[in-house]
Amino acid sequence: MKRFLIYTAKIVLITVLIAFLLDGIYTYAFMQSNERGKIEQVFNSKAKKYDVVILGSSRANNHFVAQMFEDKGLKTFNYGMSGGHLFEASLMLKLMIERKYEIKNVILEADLNLSNDHQAEGISARFLPYIHNSEIIKDHFSNESDFNELYYVPFYRYIKYDSKIGFREFFFISVGKKTNAQDNLGYYPLQKHKNGNMKNNIVNLTPLNRNKYYEEIKNICKEHHINFIPVMTPICENTVGMNYFDKVKKIYPEIHNYENVVVEDKYFSSCGHMSDAGAKIFTARILRDFFTKK
Amino acid sequence: MFFNSIAFAIFLPIVFFLYWFVFNKNKSTQNALLIVASYYFYSCWDWRFLFLLVFSTFLDYYTGIQIEKGKSQKSRKFWFWLSITVNLGFLGVFKYYNFFASSFAELLTSAGFKASPLLLNVILPVGISFYTFHGLSYVIDIYFKRIKAEYNFVDYSLFVSYFPLLVAGPIERATHLLPQVKVKREFDFQTAKEGVYQIIWGLVKKVIIADTCAPYANAIFDNYTSMNSFSLILGAIYFAFQIYGDFSGYSDIALGVSKLFGLDLLRNFNYPYFSRDIAEFWRRWHISLSSWFRDYLYIPLGGSKGGLWMKIRNTFIIFVVSGFWHGANWTYIAWGFINAVYFLPLLLSNSNRNNMDTIQLKFNFDSIKVFASILYTFVLTCIAWVFFRARTITDAVSYLKRILTSKDFGFQYLDNERYSYELLLMIGIFVLIEWNNRTKVEPLSGKMSMLKTALAILAIMAFGTFSDYKEFIYFQF
Repeated sequence: MKRFLIYTAKIVLITVLIAFLLDGIYTYAFMQSNERGKIEQVFNSKAKKYDVVILGSSRANNHFVAQMFEDKGLKTFNYGMSGGHLFEASLMLKLMIERKYEIKNVILEADLNLSNDHQAEGISARFLPYIHNSEIIKDHFSNESDFNELYYVPFYRYIKYDSKIGFREFFFISVGKKTNAQDNLGYYPLQKHKNGNMKNNIVNLTPLNRNKYYEEIKNICKEHHINFIPVMTPICENTVGMNYFDKVKKIYPEIHNYENVVVEDKYFSSCGHMSDAGAKIFTARILRDFFTKK
Repeated sequence: MFFNSIAFAIFLPIVFFLYWFVFNKNKSTQNALLIVASYYFYSCWDWRFLFLLVFSTFLDYYTGIQIEKGKSQKSRKFWFWLSITVNLGFLGVFKYYNFFASSFAELLTSAGFKASPLLLNVILPVGISFYTFHGLSYVIDIYFKRIKAEYNFVDYSLFVSYFPLLVAGPIERATHLLPQVKVKREFDFQTAKEGVYQIIWGLVKKVIIADTCAPYANAIFDNYTSMNSFSLILGAIYFAFQIYGDFSGYSDIALGVSKLFGLDLLRNFNYPYFSRDIAEFWRRWHISLSSWFRDYLYIPLGGSKGGLWMKIRNTFIIFVVSGFWHGANWTYIAWGFINAVYFLPLLLSNSNRNNMDTIQLKFNFDSIKVFASILYTFVLTCIAWVFFRARTITDAVSYLKRILTSKDFGFQYLDNERYSYELLLMIGIFVLIEWNNRTKVEPLSGKMSMLKTALAILAIMAFGTFSDYKEFIYFQF
């Protein structure tokens, strides 16, 4: 039995050593990466200057045509992340501040995502390779239920979120494979789909009374003298439960309601996401309302 | 509690410690601990079905004794059929009732009658097919006087409920396991070490092969109408490796865990994809089930004795029933039937026991023949797996038809945001490792075992799929 216990101890030791080794190798690779996604790009950058930074979910990513801002002479990047919640948008802004970005305006898509203050694991996982290299990221995750495992168990975060930051991602970073996340200044144009789903039901969604991460973003902007522009973006007219946007307006009167700026189905790729044509109409309206000198 | 879960990684060392350091006085204390651990293990899925397991155990224990004690053949027969009926009755209600009711209703509807079947809203108790078959083999063996009834309820309970084999086999025989639980187990370093190797290799199969293949196979099978020939072929191959990695991985872990407690379980897989014909495949795939059906169905039906038609009939019965055992769906029956069709030429030409020797390859023509026959058998197996995996028989036929009609062999981007060809290298490496170690139970033992073990652990951590967490496929059976 003694021999077996020693043998088992060796196996455990080997496992721990391998975990440390892999953790180090993967983290090193992610520290070098800035062409795979928006999070990597921000983390591995320094002191950028922007006139406009766009934050939010896919409804920011697919709706704000960053190039149209640039054409107006406004240095802009769309940091909207498909699938992301306000948890990630807030962390993204904090990271930018940590990296001494100078930002004049933040446009935040704040509508459906106000209904929860949880992390979107598929997106938040992409911050985790840097958890030991950024106090901001560490603090942001510190209230999550699995923080101790993610922070203290070597390689655990890469195992838990292997489809996002596992071997495949590590491999692509290592061979320098790019993604299209940063094309078009972060804006991802959608095409009109013949069979796009033009129905949506948001009856069960209720905006949180005080969304923690929305408030965080608002406060960061205030603290750093950034002009904060929260907006609700368009959704197709067949949506059931449209009064959600009125509820948002009631709780957060400062959020600008642009839900009905684009309504026709022909401008939508799916019910919650406008096509490129719709996004251009919407962006033009935002530019006119907020960035035209009167 | 899955073998590949954190919960099991905590559970196993605790039971191991208690077993060898606290409850190691005699076989009774060892068995009692294992039963408590097994019931806890089972209740982690659904404690409500524990009563079913206990009832089934008690039924077979009691009827087994009554059969042995029976003074007249009539009384022996009564207890025998009582056990068979109740065991199969449970299986029938939980597993097959809805299938029969809805199939009957469909039949009536197609004959022009209006039928709305009364379906049961019950979930299938995990492992019911496995522990029912344990009990059945025990009772049948007593009835035919092959074994003596077990009078110690604790020992018998352990035979039925032993946690490594409780939910997905291997299907044990009383003749093999009961004698082992009747003596005190002494710790043996070599056996335990072999157990660790088997557990680690089982995890390699499960988390690297099965769980990595699963999202690709699912993406292809679920969208087969938009897939080209190449993707569809890959889909069938991925599923073949998914189910192999999943089930044989589970079996390896079960056998390995059991070795840690000094109990040897029946081998369930023996590199089935290196078979040279279908008969050999069935001697190497899910061995405990194949041999169960051979001993308790095929042979009682007359086996290969009798005339040609009898042989054919028995072959089809055993394969179709084996398919049906897997699940209440026509696709499983079709899968069994197809395997019977594959088997038929071997049976008719009396060559079903041709390939009993170990495969040896050299640089000569015979080796090319062997290699070709392995490939041919694998292709046949993959075709049958399409029926096993598809939702309906129509889907399976359309899937195979599309392989032939699409004629497009380009790479496709799948729904899971991966390219269809991505796993080929990994599968190739896996096949090479298994091929080079086909004479051993697992590839980690032997020379440089510590290095191989370390590499396996590294591979599990780096290449394993954990986030798309998967159950073991055979748990649903």
